[in-house]
Amino acid sequence: MKFTTPGIAMLFALLMAAAGVRAGEVQMRGVSNPQQARIDYILKCQGCHRPDGGGDDRSNPPIKNEVARFLGVPGGREFLARVPGVSTVDLDDTRLANLVNWTLYTFDPAHMPADFRPYSPEEIGHLRRHPLRLERAETRARLVKGFSQDRAKTHSP
Amino acid sequence: MAGFDKWTERLSRGVARRTSRRSTLAWLGAAITGAATIPVLPVARAASGSPHGGGGAANAPLVSTNPQDPGDQTSCDYWRYCAIDGFLCSCCGGSASTCPPGTEMSPITWIGTCTNPADNRAYVISYNDCCGTSSCGQCLCNRNEGDRPQVRPQSNNDYNWCLGTQSSVYNCSTAIIVGVALDQPK
Repeated sequence: MKFTTPGIAMLFALLMAAAGVRAGEVQMRGVSNPQQARIDYILKCQGCHRPDGGGDDRSNPPIKNEVARFLGVPGGREFLARVPGVSTVDLDDTRLANLVNWTLYTFDPAHMPADFRPYSPEEIGHLRRHPLRLERAETRARLVKGFSQDRAKTHSP
Repeated sequence: MAGFDKWTERLSRGVARRTSRRSTLAWLGAAITGAATIPVLPVARAASGSPHGGGGAANAPLVSTNPQDPGDQTSCDYWRYCAIDGFLCSCCGGSASTCPPGTEMSPITWIGTCTNPADNRAYVISYNDCCGTSSCGQCLCNRNEGDRPQVRPQSNNDYNWCLGTQSSVYNCSTAIIVGVALDQPK
């Protein structure tokens, strides 16, 4: 195959597009290793929360289009690191922080606050030492009630 | 007592009159041959079997033609079944990745990794249960590699994982590849 000028231009455009995708990944703040996060999600979360994070209200609550809304209510940021599935998982703090930040960006980009401060391994390590137990459903219901007001404005489109 | 003696005498004389030594030999020969066929019956085949559970020989082997996917999918020793606890769907009218007709696949699963002997890489396997009809009863396997105690419910295979389905009645288990693990899996 001989490379013609339009061919080279096209190759260049493809390379730029690939670079664009990479840039998109880099924009996930606090995610140092997205491949690791993806596999950790499959191994530790997906079994119950489904491959697309969909869930349902009977078995496991949805992550998709929902999880980042907790960041907007008081106590929500702490809640996300203290729910049993997060706090008791057998991952170290660094991998868990990587996974939580990745999950927020991947499953609910629309609700990510512009000034999102990524979870650090230290913060995760501190919060997971006080995991939620039987009060988790009640805590979640209280927080969800808190963000029912912003549902009106975020659901405008 | 005399009556009992008479009865015994009549019985033994009757037997002696009606049977010959040859017929006894024939009967004995038939019994020996008959006993040899007992291991062919399904009862004996269910009792033998692989170290991870019985029943491997009762089913025709199901081998993929893909060299990347070696092994018999109806055997407990098949690589994807490394953490399985239940009946193999491939012995129950389904396959290693599909449910038998009339059952519903559970969307909620337990997930682990198994090493593929073809390339020695760890693959992420999702053990989706098939639910809706009573236990299949074929090819019971119990390997449990990486199984965690029940205090870690997301990594324990002793629970009934027929969750999120219309029926919670367990039929059999599949083992579906959902990804390739990284080099340092946990």
